[in-house]
This record gives sequence, C-alpha cells and structure tokens, in this order.
Amino acid sequence: MKPALKYALIALALAVAVAVPFGLEPRGYATRILCLVLLFAAMAQAWNIVGGLANQMSLGHAAFFGIGAYGSTILLVKYGISPWLGLLPGMAAGGVAAWLISLPTMRLRGHYFALATLAFGEVMRLVANTWGGLTGGPSGISVPFSKPGLAVFQFKDMRPYYFLMLAALLVVTAIFAGIRHSKLGYRLRAIRENPSAAEAIGVDTTRTKIIAAVVSGALMAGLGTFYAQFQFFFDPDTVFSIPAISVRVAMIAIVGGVGTTIGPIVGALFLIPIEELANQTFSDQAAGLSQLVFGLLLIVVILAEPRGLLEIGRRLWRWRGRT
Amino acid sequence: MTALLQISNISKRFGGLQALNDVNVSIARGEILGLIGPNGAGKTTLFSTLVGLLKPSTGSIRLEGREIAGMKPHRIASAGMVKTFQNVALFLDSSVLDNVLTGGLLRHSVSEARALARHCLAQVGLSDIADKRAGDLSFPERARVEVARALCTEPRILLLDEAMAALNHAEMDEFLALLRRLRDGGLTLVIVEHHMKAIMSICDRLLVLNFGRQIAIGTPAEIARDPAVIEAYLGRSAA
Ligand SMILES: Nc1ncnc2c1ncn2[C@@H]1O[C@H](COP(=O)(O)OP(=O)(O)OP(=O)(O)O)[C@@H](O)[C@H]1O
Ligand SMILES: [Mg+2]
Repeated sequence: MKPALKYALIALALAVAVAVPFGLEPRGYATRILCLVLLFAAMAQAWNIVGGLANQMSLGHAAFFGIGAYGSTILLVKYGISPWLGLLPGMAAGGVAAWLISLPTMRLRGHYFALATLAFGEVMRLVANTWGGLTGGPSGISVPFSKPGLAVFQFKDMRPYYFLMLAALLVVTAIFAGIRHSKLGYRLRAIRENPSAAEAIGVDTTRTKIIAAVVSGALMAGLGTFYAQFQFFFDPDTVFSIPAISVRVAMIAIVGGVGTTIGPIVGALFLIPIEELANQTFSDQAAGLSQLVFGLLLIVVILAEPRGLLEIGRRLWRWRGRT
Repeated sequence: MTALLQISNISKRFGGLQALNDVNVSIARGEILGLIGPNGAGKTTLFSTLVGLLKPSTGSIRLEGREIAGMKPHRIASAGMVKTFQNVALFLDSSVLDNVLTGGLLRHSVSEARALARHCLAQVGLSDIADKRAGDLSFPERARVEVARALCTEPRILLLDEAMAALNHAEMDEFLALLRRLRDGGLTLVIVEHHMKAIMSICDRLLVLNFGRQIAIGTPAEIARDPAVIEAYLGRSAA
C-alpha cells in the first residue's frame, strides 16, 4: 500500500472512531460493546509485543491484567489513591511480574512456553482468591463510588469511557508500532526467525526477550486499571480468567493477524461483537451453544487463513485488483 | 607481534565422540587462515566453539589477549568475532536489507545501521536485491547476504564456513577478490572451504583437521607436500 493511501485510511478510521459514539445512545448497549472492543484491542496489542514480535505464545497475560486491576483498585479502596496514580505502581508491578516469569520460561519453546505462562496466570488467580485480606477474596472487590469526573476516572455515561479506551488503544498501538521499527523490533524479529543466527551476530536474546515481556506486561497491567474503572466490580475469576482474558487476547491477535499493527484491532472489531451476538442469539437455547457457534467460527477463520483476517483482506484486495 | 586470536588446547566432546582434540593455533592480525579437513573433521565444531555457540570441554580462547572461552555468542560478537553458518542462517521472512541491517545494530542506531548495511551489500555485490525477501534468494545469494550481515557487525575477525559453496568460477574469483580487499582493510579471516584451488591461492597458512585432531599447520606449499595430510585428506579425496 502507498504511504499516502495508508495515512489517508488511518485518518479516516480515526475520524470514524471519534464520530461513532455521537451517533449512539450514550448509556446504550452499543457504546458499551464498543468500549470493550477498544479495550480488548488494546489488550491484544499489548499481548502482540510478546506473542507477535517475539513469537512467544503467552497464555498467561491475565496475570498482568489482574495485577493492574487489583493494584490500582486496592490503592483506591485502602488509601483513596486516584486510579490515575494507582495506574503507575500497577504497571510497575505488572512489569516486574513479567520480568520474573520470563526468567524461568525464557528458554522454553512453543507448547512449553504456553503451558508455563498458563500456569503462572492460574497461580495468580489462586493467590488472589486466597489472600482475602488484601483482595477481598472470591467475593470480589468494588470500586468505591465517587462524584463522577475525569480526575477520579468515573463517569455517568459510556461516552467518556469510550474516548479513554480509544486513547489507551492509540497509545498501546503507537508503542507497538514504535517497537517494530526500533532496534528492539529488529532484534525480536531476528530471534523469531533464527535465534542462533541472531545471537551470533550480537543480539542478546535473553535481554531482548525480557525487555519485550516487561513492556507487554506493564501495558497489560495498565489496561487492567481501565477495566476496573469501567466495570466497577470484579473478582479473581474474572480478571485472572484463562478463557475470558488470557486466551481471548491471544485469539483476537491471532484471528486479526498476529505480529501486525492493525491485526489486534481488526480481531477485536470482529470477535467481540460476534461473541456478544452469539451470546444474545443463543442464550435461551441449550447452555454452551453460543460458545460452540463462536468456536466453530474461529475454526473457520483460522482454517481459511492461518495468518488471520488481515491476510484474507489483503488477498481479496489483490484479487479485486486483478479482475 | 601478539596474536589476534590465540586458541590453546581446545577440545570438544559430544557424548562419546571427541569432535575436537587439543587444537592449538595462533592467528595473526591481517592473516587469512584456511581450515581444511575431510567431512566430519570438526571444522564447523571449531567455529561454533570459537564464537560461543558451543562451550569448549577444555581449553582457552583469547581474542586480543582477552579470554572469551565460555562467553555468550553476542558478547563474542561485540568483542569482534563472528562466523557465517555452513547451512546459511538468514532471517528468511525479512528483506535482504533488514537481514544485513540487524548485524549493524550491534554498534549503531537503526538509521546508521541501514546506511552501513547498504555499504556492506555493495561490497558483496548485492545492492540490486536489497529489497527482496531473503527466503526467495538462491543459495549462493543467501551465502553472500550472510557474509554482508557478518561484515555489518564490523568484526576484527570473520570466520567463513563454506561461504563459496555453489559459486561458479567468475563468482568465486569475485569473492576471492573481496576477501583480499577485506584483508587489506585490516580484517582477519579464517575460511573453511572444500575448493582446494581457491583455498591454496588465497590463504597465508592452512590448518588441517582430521577426526578432531590438528594434523598439520603451515603454508599452502608445505601442506601440499605433507605426508600426513596427503594420507588423511588429499589422498582420500583423490581416490
Ligand atoms: N551438536 C552435535 N552433537 C553431536 N555430534 C555432533 C554435533 N555437531 C557435530 N557433531 C559431530 O562432530 C563431528 C564433527 O562435525 P563438524 O560438523 O564439525 O565437521 P566438519 O568438519 O564441519 O564437516 P563438514 O565438512 O561435513 O562440514 C562429526 O562427527 C559430527 O557428526
Ligand atoms: Mg562443517
């Protein structure tokens, strides 16, 4: 694609993203779903740094997400610290957790890395459930209500949340795109394509992977705070969930186009609404039917093009150009 | 004159197999050393051990007087020694330019590395395919890209493992001319090559390995008339 066309498309997409909520009911269901689309796109983008650029299939990103959600919320509940400030220690804790988990999993490949990270997420869920004094345990934790406003990160209707989620997505996407074109991005690609060759021409593979993991984990934790402020209530089984967080963010990035800058956005725009639709359509039918339909749809996409929707789009574009 | 690279008593064992057995050699700055020996002699193993991809079982490796045995490959690369891979190890999904550029990141920013990468590609005569995907290249082209990538790390000593394999005559002459230019520019080279005429014409000295053991070292003329070498290597390939 020509750069001019690319920038025009980006500007158009941004204009649409800014305009859309004004055409929707501010407290409505549609705006709420769009907030989740933006949030999950940002989460999948943060995952994409490890899962896409470093090609390490993490299934434990809920760990960092939950750490961020609990971090800022506990600081708010216990000490009245604004979530905007609580965001920072939460992100630091997410980064440190990512660093700690990357040390032992560093040399694991493929399935083993996926399993080890999966287990880490589960450990965090158990810790949060057990350590009730700090987290409120299995009964969950609520964000205390205060007078709405930007300073306290609470609003009456959905529109401000929408724009904050959009801002978060833009920031995470800018970081992702920046990494891709930086030394770190080149090094991650080198490690992904040939680790021994990368090491032999001077890439410190250990350090490079740790930096990627820390950035990814910290961003994921930051988004945990956004989720907490958006939902007002959550428990360990939600924020540390394997299917609802860890697997879902990986799935969004993979279905959209793993390792690409817009893949996670495309993936979230596709998956989140369809999942909602499936839930609504089949909720009065047999239990689990919506998940079944949703799962089948994922299988169809991945069978059609393992590189995801973006690649299907590219193929259609080329095909259209030819006829 | 102090040696640039001092290899002392290097041995490497793979389980029951003694792949390298007490190798000793000292390589001078600006020298072109040829490393020859029959298949399985341990040439690639020696290279991998020198750059840290394998740890030596015993022995010492000093680069400019500094002990590097057991260091990680990226530290050895930044100390100034890199190798190319016999089976060619490129980043196949990346462009030729990006492959070479990644070598330059060892000492430079992305934009500096890009300029240096173009220069290195010009040196090996591949400027016109800079934007091709590495995976789409022919084998000889890949080998030259790998040489350019190694050069882009700005090494003091470069180990080439059969980089000339599959080159035709004209290409080989060009490649030998490149190696001479690099040497004249101050680079030290160790080359593994099965093509005898090429290696005899370019090397100052040859080191001969057989079953992991160093059986001879000397000028090409000395090696050509060494009875142990004729027996172990030239004799066998002539038969
Ligand atoms: N990683 C390894 N594990 C076990 N044995 C190995 C390993 N690498 C090499 N070897 C063995 O060590 C010996 C030396 O192999 P090496 O590849 O160094 O030989 P070479 O001189 O480079 O041969 P060629 O001319 O065929 O490239 C061979 O017997 C080989 O099978
Ligand atoms: Mg070999």
